[in-house]
Amino acid sequence: MKHVDSKAKKYGMVIDLDKCTGCGTCMVACMAENNVPFKKDETDKRLSITWMRVFKLTNGKPYPDNEICYLPRPCQHCEGQHTGHSPCVSVCPATATDYDSETGIVSQIYTRCFGCRYCMGACPYHARYFNWWDPVWPGEMEKYLNPDVSPRMRGVVEKCSFCYHRAQLAMEKAHVEGRKELKEKEYQTACTQACPAGAIVFGDLNNPEHEVHQVAQPDPHHHGRPKNPNAFRLLERLGTNTKVYYLSSREWVRRAGDNYLDSEGSASHE
Amino acid sequence: MDSALWPIGVKRCHISKFLMGLSIAGVVLLWGVVGLILCWVKGLNQTHMNDYYGFALWIWADLAVIALGGGAFFTGLLRYIFGIRELKNIINYAVLIGFICYSSALLILAIDVGQPLRSWFIFWHANVHSMLTEVAFCLSCYFGVLTIEYIPLILENRQLNKVPFAHHLAHNMHHIMAVFAATGAFLSFFHQGSLGGVAGVLFGRPFAYREHILIWPYTFFLFTWSAAAYGPCFTLLITWLTEKISGKQLVKENVKQLLAKISGWMIFTYIIAKIADTVYWALVTAPSKGFTLMDFYSNNPIYGIWILIVEIGVCGVVPAWILVTPRLRANPKTRLIAIILGVIGVCLNRWVMVLQVMAVPVLSFDTWAMYYPSWQEVATTILPVAYGVILILISYRYLPIFPQEVELNPIEPSPSETVEAMNDAAAEDAMVSNGEPATA
Amino acid sequence: MKVDRRSFLAFGVGGAAGTALSPLPWKLTDDLSIWSQRWPWVPIPKDGEIRYETSTCTLCPGGCGIAVRMIGERPVKIEGRKDHPVNQGGVCLRGAAGLQYLYGPSRVRTPLKRVGKRGQGQWARISWEAALSELAGKLKALRNDGHPEGLACITGKDRGTVAALLKRFMTAFGTPNYFGPATSTHALETAVRTMTGQEGPVGFDLEHSDLVLSFGSGLLDGWGSPVRVFKAVSHRIERHAEVIQVDSRMSNTAARADRWIAINPGTEGVLALGMAHVIIAKSLYNQQFINQFAAGFDAFKKIVMADFTPDAVAGITGAAPGVIAELAEKFSQAKRPVALCGRGRGMVPGALSESMAVVALNALVGGINQDGGLRLLPDPAYISWPEPVMDPVALKGNQAPRLDGAGDHPVFSPATPNRFFDQLRENAARTPAILMVAEANPLYTLRDTQAVEKTLKQIPYLVSFSSFMDETARQADLILPNHMFLERFEDVPSPAGFSRPFIGLSRPVVAASYNTRHIGDTLIDLARRLKGSIAAAFRWTNYETCLKETLGRKWDGMLKNGYWMNTAASPVSWNTLFKTRSGRFEFNGEDMAAPPWKSIHVAAAGDSSAFPLVFVPYDSIRLASGSVGNAPFMTKTVPDTVLIKEEIVVEINRETAGRYHLAEGKKATLATPRGQVTVRVHLSDRIMPGLVAMPTGLGHTAYDDFLAGKGVNVNQLIGPAKDPLSGYDAAWGIRAKITKA
Ligand SMILES: Nc1nc2c(c(=O)[nH]1)N[C@H]1C(S)=C(S)[C@@H](COP(=O)(O)OP(=O)(O)OC[C@H]3O[C@@H](n4cnc5c(=O)[nH]c(N)nc54)[C@H](O)[C@@H]3O)O[C@H]1N2
Ligand SMILES: Nc1nc2c(c(=O)[nH]1)N[C@H]1C(S)=C(S)[C@@H](COP(=O)(O)OP(=O)(O)OC[C@H]3O[C@@H](n4cnc5c(=O)[nH]c(N)nc54)[C@H](O)[C@@H]3O)O[C@H]1N2
Ligand code: SF4
Ligand code: SF4
Ligand code: SF4
Ligand code: SF4
Ligand code: SF4
Ligand SMILES: [Mo]
Repeated sequence: MKHVDSKAKKYGMVIDLDKCTGCGTCMVACMAENNVPFKKDETDKRLSITWMRVFKLTNGKPYPDNEICYLPRPCQHCEGQHTGHSPCVSVCPATATDYDSETGIVSQIYTRCFGCRYCMGACPYHARYFNWWDPVWPGEMEKYLNPDVSPRMRGVVEKCSFCYHRAQLAMEKAHVEGRKELKEKEYQTACTQACPAGAIVFGDLNNPEHEVHQVAQPDPHHHGRPKNPNAFRLLERLGTNTKVYYLSSREWVRRAGDNYLDSEGSASHE
Repeated sequence: MDSALWPIGVKRCHISKFLMGLSIAGVVLLWGVVGLILCWVKGLNQTHMNDYYGFALWIWADLAVIALGGGAFFTGLLRYIFGIRELKNIINYAVLIGFICYSSALLILAIDVGQPLRSWFIFWHANVHSMLTEVAFCLSCYFGVLTIEYIPLILENRQLNKVPFAHHLAHNMHHIMAVFAATGAFLSFFHQGSLGGVAGVLFGRPFAYREHILIWPYTFFLFTWSAAAYGPCFTLLITWLTEKISGKQLVKENVKQLLAKISGWMIFTYIIAKIADTVYWALVTAPSKGFTLMDFYSNNPIYGIWILIVEIGVCGVVPAWILVTPRLRANPKTRLIAIILGVIGVCLNRWVMVLQVMAVPVLSFDTWAMYYPSWQEVATTILPVAYGVILILISYRYLPIFPQEVELNPIEPSPSETVEAMNDAAAEDAMVSNGEPATA
Repeated sequence: MKVDRRSFLAFGVGGAAGTALSPLPWKLTDDLSIWSQRWPWVPIPKDGEIRYETSTCTLCPGGCGIAVRMIGERPVKIEGRKDHPVNQGGVCLRGAAGLQYLYGPSRVRTPLKRVGKRGQGQWARISWEAALSELAGKLKALRNDGHPEGLACITGKDRGTVAALLKRFMTAFGTPNYFGPATSTHALETAVRTMTGQEGPVGFDLEHSDLVLSFGSGLLDGWGSPVRVFKAVSHRIERHAEVIQVDSRMSNTAARADRWIAINPGTEGVLALGMAHVIIAKSLYNQQFINQFAAGFDAFKKIVMADFTPDAVAGITGAAPGVIAELAEKFSQAKRPVALCGRGRGMVPGALSESMAVVALNALVGGINQDGGLRLLPDPAYISWPEPVMDPVALKGNQAPRLDGAGDHPVFSPATPNRFFDQLRENAARTPAILMVAEANPLYTLRDTQAVEKTLKQIPYLVSFSSFMDETARQADLILPNHMFLERFEDVPSPAGFSRPFIGLSRPVVAASYNTRHIGDTLIDLARRLKGSIAAAFRWTNYETCLKETLGRKWDGMLKNGYWMNTAASPVSWNTLFKTRSGRFEFNGEDMAAPPWKSIHVAAAGDSSAFPLVFVPYDSIRLASGSVGNAPFMTKTVPDTVLIKEEIVVEINRETAGRYHLAEGKKATLATPRGQVTVRVHLSDRIMPGLVAMPTGLGHTAYDDFLAGKGVNVNQLIGPAKDPLSGYDAAWGIRAKITKA
């Protein structure tokens, strides 16, 4: 399986939690790239639009044995148990969020969304955000808005798109240059690009030559479950079949990625 | 003063008392309208919903009201399809309550969505895999059916009915009502079910998720069943309330007992299914996702295991037992207790299946999401109640809702009225009392 | 009219079809949906061709290379330059939010003259001509009175041509009262100067070290050149190198380090000497270096062996003697170890002897100018303008005593802004007539904010060059707004801690958005207006020609690459490295009255019975605590364990909190000898008992609604503590008490 031709892509991420510093640059890079609005008070995190959100996990032990781990959470671009059966896509009544089988990206079409928020209830990762307010850019900040991503209006849901517009730009460029295939790093998300720790790797999980594939080692017979013993996905057991893989050398961190009964000894990711 | 508009052969309170009642409900309605306008103009930031808690109090009200309105389709089904004739004496009221419930539900949905002006995208860009699409379609259609079922009632207003067009329209509609009742039952089966499916398909939410039969999760069937089972309780409860307020008996005891009995057996069978579902979910579904039952009920201020016990035991098993036991059913006091418990039970079930679903953390590092409504939410949730009261006040006053009222509350009619009443009664009898629609 | 079933159905169906077929409902719904999708108040950004402009970010001393994505003349995104030696592709969140500064509501958009009372925020917009002639008039008057030393200047930057122009202006004008910043970099450079004789930047070769031992340096909290340090720390995983973090609280650095050693705050230098004790006792030091290239080792050894035994050190630091020994062994046995100093982001200089102890530890293992060690870098010394010619007024003014009392020590006489304000407070007669503030915000960043504000108010005329309406600018009489970094040229020499001689070039990627001016041009213009020798010292047509001329042959390359780097600068051999009089590494420093090790531990101020706890500020990468505040996007990332609505959350050990009956999230009163505030508490399992930690960077009173009024400025609670040896501010904390509110 040396040569890969233009079959469907499955873009995904591997985030190395041993490297992530919790700096939050990915969050800001994403906001800047994607015209995410902001308000005067953003301290209520349940009302704060952050397509990328860095969670802080703890092993819960008392001082001085306490440990923490930062976990950046973009949309996991769930595929579900059969193509396109993402928790959110399957429930949206107006097809305002869709699964692109060419790229594996879960889209969000703001101008179609009518704000029922069913998809938010469906997403166990809290990756979806509702525009409770009209977006306002104070001063002359409207000037910095990126024309590749349309600003959203009040009353619709938004979320990480894996910077889909960057895929489009890269594919346009490849097309102009007469190429059918993108090179590995030609399409990178804004968060991947910005991360000062180099903790995020982005690429085509279907392509054995891509780093994401090599690191995560998705098992095609088990809906992409990682074969790398240090890799895990969030809530693997729910069958969401996500495209964001996490790496950690720490057992408690890997275990925090899912729910286990006390009777289940250790995290089972062969 | 307005007695010319009253149904024939009945007495109504003085108009000032009526207007007083109307205006009290009107004030509450107005308060709701203020909340509603705020939500539409300023947006859903007027609520206390958030990105973790995307469904509000009023979505619960929506589901509850639809379940309670289930009395309409189920009574319709029994009356028109299964031909249980006694129920004709309560069917009008069931239809009215259903109409109120469903119009309220639609109104609530129109407030609830972020972009109400785009709501029709649900039809235009319909995603046939979504339970909510199914809900939207069936709900809208069934509301149409209820409207059609309600219109003849309006047309039977004493004055309206004098207009030949109205009279004949009402007459004809009555004749084909079985078709609509059947359609309504069919639609209700699906939208009640798909409302259950709304939560049951959420495979990202182990608290809500249920195994499937074909494309439908168990909650699909449980919702339909519970609506059919508890809906009549609500019809009976409102009837009881109306009787208390009007100070008259409006429906005969045998009709009430019949409906209560049917409801009882429905609850009885439902609660067995619900218990089986709960056991399977607690022992098989949840553990397969890494959750124990108590993960869903502990470490939070309100969602203790009590809620499950109250829903299934106190508000399920108890009313079922009361209503299937002839002696207890016959006793108006215990029957009333059972009816009230039933109503609470189904509301609690809808609460749990909407709001607790949002509250339970799924990610291992997440916390419980708690929520309390803003005044705007409370106002808009109470709005339908006020609206319902107003509609009932007007309908009761001017429409022949209760066919047995005249018989149960005889009054001294004036001679001129007697003639008219006799004619009308004869016509009515020809229309409805021979059971089968007459061929034109 | 008789309606039978047929006509009824016909009526129904017909009516429905008729309504549906009429264009009205369809037109209406369509219009509604279109309108709802294009609410006129939702902006539609203008599209265009994408291009990239490169520059250097100056939002912090990191000096990262950036690529700015442009749509036409509009910058829309800041990204890191992949081909830049400092940051190699990444940015930090502050750089990524850079455009919010450019267009934010707190920009000063035109010269402003105060009209209301001081600090009231009432301004008249004036022209540059009016503003400059007013200032020139005031300055002339000072010189005419024969007191040019009545002009003082505070700047937050002391490298590069802008700082040099300011300093030159002051000298030509005739005043010694130029106050640069004082950070841990300054303390470290002073330590290195006295120990090695080297003048110039100090770097750390983190990329090649196999053991990084950080004495409280916030490697992942904004220390040094942040992106470069992040990269080095993160890529250590592939290199199998280790990071050990010494910190009293689990900072982000400690959390991601291979090991966290919790010690009492402020005792880092003591721990370093404790390690030195073990290394010497076990003869684990680099014999060759000590024997051939070091001086003063015996005196150093004597003190260390006597006073810094593991037991004694354990008593002070709280680290177990075994841990100290283990650390020492590990450090001396590593191939390329390096020890770092500068607490947190390094904003506070700290005790000089503390920096010296860490340099000495590096020296013990021979880690000076070796791969992976501490680097003495040659000063790029490219600013070689002829000395300004002073007229008699200037000559006389420059002789006047400095207002900060600097120069009172033969070797160490740092000009620290704290000392300037201290002196003013003691002696109001020394108040300068005019104070200019450039790239600094002393009213926020200086310790004891309340006292600084009071003192500042007594200065008759305050001029700010700030691009933003910060705390200091708000008190100003005149604001001459500088261009923002994306609008201006500037040289950015020596990114903090970078291990090679380096000059970055910041250049305009966008035309000035508002009626602002480059501070260099403002100074040149002012000098011209002052005529005579001052004008003669500023012969450049404008700042750009000045910069071009100064960089000389480097200019073309810098314009092309965006930076200049001396890649040829290879490690100098120990034979010729040391410029001390002995030609050797001086363990105890040159020209010290006595070995400096007695004053290594500066205690927290305050009475321990009234204030049983210790308050420690901490730095976080998500909060800017320097002269420029947070951009809205940055504040958005601040977690709710730090800020809840407007209330700041302090961290306190769970057990300690129990003693004071404090519960998670509850309000409490936090008092120190300098002030008292209301806070919320977060019970933490990641901080030593007995401490209360608060993040720096909050509590702004100026800027915009996205920053002002949130939390508490740590400087309200903490005062400067003078290092007896150097006069630098060495306050790492202060005693405190906390009670349930
Ligand atoms: N408020 C507001 N309204 C507007 C505009 C505006 O700027 N602001 N612009 C108006 C104009 S000029 C236009 S052309 C329209 C544009 O309207 P649309 O083209 O409908 O919407 P956009 O968001 O601009 O276009 C990009 C869309 O692609 C979606 N997308 C992301 N990933 C994927 C994917 O994997 N697959 C697919 N299929 N889609 C994906 C994005 O979520 C995004 O919604 O809107 C118009 N309405
Ligand atoms: N990623 C990231 N990295 C950062 C930051 C961040 O938020 N995130 N912060 C960045 C910031 S804002 C900066 S500026 C740097 C620190 O870098 P600096 O360039 O040092 O920052 P300043 O705040 O400008 O000045 C710092 C010191 O100068 C002194 N000072 C303050 N005001 C005055 C004054 O008026 N006159 C004089 N002479 N001295 C004064 C204070 O004692 C203070 O310790 O760290 C930077 N690093
Ligand atoms: S930018 Fe990188 S290091 Fe920083 S929080 Fe995001 S993933 Fe972690
Ligand atoms: S993470 Fe959430 S929003 Fe993203 S695809 Fe999965 S369910 Fe949908
Ligand atoms: S909120 Fe929007 S995207 Fe989500 S389910 Fe509803 S219509 Fe679809
Ligand atoms: S992939 Fe793009 S949209 Fe998603 S979190 Fe990263 S920057 Fe944001
Ligand atoms: S680290 Fe400093 S120089 Fe680099 S991008 Fe961030 S603020 Fe700019
Ligand atoms: Mo700064």
